Amino acid sequence: MIWRISWKNVWRNKSRSLIVICAVTLGTISGVFVAGLMKGWVDQRIHAAIYTEVSHIKIQNPKYLNNEELKYTVPNYTQIAHFLENSEKVKAWTKHTKTVAMASTSRGNTALTLKGVIPEEEKKVSDLYTYIVKDGGNYFESDIRNPIVISEKTADQLRLINYIISQELLDSISKLGANPDLVDRLGQIKDERFITEKKFKAELESLLKQKEIKEFGANTMRLAKNYKVRSKIVFTFSGMDGEMSYQSFRVCGIYKTSNTMFDQMNAFVLQENIASVAGFGPNDYHEVNIILNNAGENLQPLKNTLNSRFSEASVMTWKELAPDAGMMADFMILYYYMIMGVIFFALAFGIINTMLMSVLERIKELGMLMAVGMNKKRVFNMIMLETIFLTLVGSVAGMILGGALIGIFGQVGLNFASVQEGFEAFGWSAMVYPTIELSFFFGVTLLVIVIAILSSIIPARKALKLSPVEALRTE
Amino acid sequence: MKVIDISNLTKVYNESEVKVKAVNNVSLSFEEGEFAAIVGPSGSGKTTLLNLIGGLDKATEGKIIVDGTNINDLKSSELIDFRLKNIGFVFQSYNLIPVLTAKENVEFIMELQGRSSKERDDRTTELLSAVGLGERVNARPSKLSGGQQQRVAVARALASKPKFVLADEPTANLDSKSTETLLDIMEELNKKEKITFIFSTHDQRVVKKARRVITVEDGSVVSDEKRNSEN
Repeated sequence: MIWRISWKNVWRNKSRSLIVICAVTLGTISGVFVAGLMKGWVDQRIHAAIYTEVSHIKIQNPKYLNNEELKYTVPNYTQIAHFLENSEKVKAWTKHTKTVAMASTSRGNTALTLKGVIPEEEKKVSDLYTYIVKDGGNYFESDIRNPIVISEKTADQLRLINYIISQELLDSISKLGANPDLVDRLGQIKDERFITEKKFKAELESLLKQKEIKEFGANTMRLAKNYKVRSKIVFTFSGMDGEMSYQSFRVCGIYKTSNTMFDQMNAFVLQENIASVAGFGPNDYHEVNIILNNAGENLQPLKNTLNSRFSEASVMTWKELAPDAGMMADFMILYYYMIMGVIFFALAFGIINTMLMSVLERIKELGMLMAVGMNKKRVFNMIMLETIFLTLVGSVAGMILGGALIGIFGQVGLNFASVQEGFEAFGWSAMVYPTIELSFFFGVTLLVIVIAILSSIIPARKALKLSPVEALRTE
Repeated sequence: MKVIDISNLTKVYNESEVKVKAVNNVSLSFEEGEFAAIVGPSGSGKTTLLNLIGGLDKATEGKIIVDGTNINDLKSSELIDFRLKNIGFVFQSYNLIPVLTAKENVEFIMELQGRSSKERDDRTTELLSAVGLGERVNARPSKLSGGQQQRVAVARALASKPKFVLADEPTANLDSKSTETLLDIMEELNKKEKITFIFSTHDQRVVKKARRVITVEDGSVVSDEKRNSEN
């Protein structure tokens, strides 16, 4: 009956309760959505760190970590390979050679790490092949001699991206709703070749109004972009013997991940094309990358086993190799609850106020209840339950709506395009797919109940201090 | 059999350094099945006396013995339990819980007492029928007239099977017809269930029905008239 009375008391003053419930609902939606957004970001960052950048476990020569000389290859590679082939904990593994090289084209140059890969093995360990940009070639699937996969960033630095206003572009922009005058103005630079994004942007800004750039700028940039696949890049590097070597590669694919730093530093070539020039032997590799089965359970045990078996090698997990993602993975749950805690702490003041008003309005009734034999524990429970119901209704509604929002944006994604460069500089994707775990909702429910209990203390104390005689005299 | 035995009961209020004796050295006793009215002018102390008997207020001096227990010695938490087990209250302004139906208002007290669901159900049906509201069990107080609400309050007061019922000005807000009906119902229940009713009242219609009339003035009992039958 106490439960029933408390529930019914919530709806005694409908408009007042609904205001608090709406506030709690909105607070919960924001909290859940922000937590979902953060989780989406963190999950995407962790996924990228593991499956694009560093894998679950990486084995290297410890000396290579301090001094990236080619001679510091993975020690005892044959035994390590044999062990990995037979370990049930290992889902897939591959090996890389790494060569720091200077890349040059006729228009630009940049320093890169050339990773020698075996594409079939690589695809089982890294999803980089899925990041080939549209019209940017492919991942070692063409018959180009000495193929290389470079990032869009590198292509830009080497001036391997042109911007051209073609007739097709003008037609597309027109279809997108641009007025003929705008199309005419763009037509003034038709078939002109711009070799940097900066110069093309500057030209667009001189031709188009600010509003037009806002509306059609991104599409114009995208459609004008022209990757020079099959272009030749010459690399200069020192081989195993310390002598300078030269090798030319042709662009086979251009990729773009959400980590600008990674993109800026890495280019991929076939091992067979680099090994002979750099002088690598058949078992000379600079890193072994491993993807695990059931990484949650197997990560640390496998690292320990590898450490004890191959003590001369450096064995590092993704948490050590990508500490930003590792830290996020360890602490993100705390962040989510901190967000919810802060929101509910603020809401608690509103809840206390509402409950105090509710108690003060019912002094006579509370006096009657105490007069007829309702003890203090029951009075306290009644007010506490009322507070819990009031808060829980709002938070459950908030969790359902917040969960639905996460469900929708989890499918379509949320694009922070305006701050894309800044995000990607830190390895965070600008396109976020919010996600949330069911356990988070249980946690929030518990948090709500605790906050409600704490919020009920002041109004309940007010009620408990009442003397039945004085309360009954109240008008 | 004595239900209540009051001796030398005094209640002094300290208001603004002026001591007010609301109840002054009152000694009374009530037998099982009495239908008594405490009357007197406003401020005479009748409500204070009723509050002291009901354990809602603490006496400054004196004893109130109910079933061998001096309720003046009980702690606040013990008093709440004592009231729940032994006393039924009917208030001037009904004081029903507005969010509960008539049935739930009556049942509620029995649930506090820990009675079984069936027992609660049977007793509620019986009492609401007895007060003539058998058809309105699911109505909320706002849908009932003043007289009907007070009848629910009487049913609620009797639900816990108390040793006595204290009714503070129960008819003050009722019209003549409702007062008549209510008094008839209370009298019938008093006779049927042998429950002692003590009223504090100004209402001559209540006084007429009462089989004992105690007159209080300035906190003291000035007359205590027992009648054999209805005057």
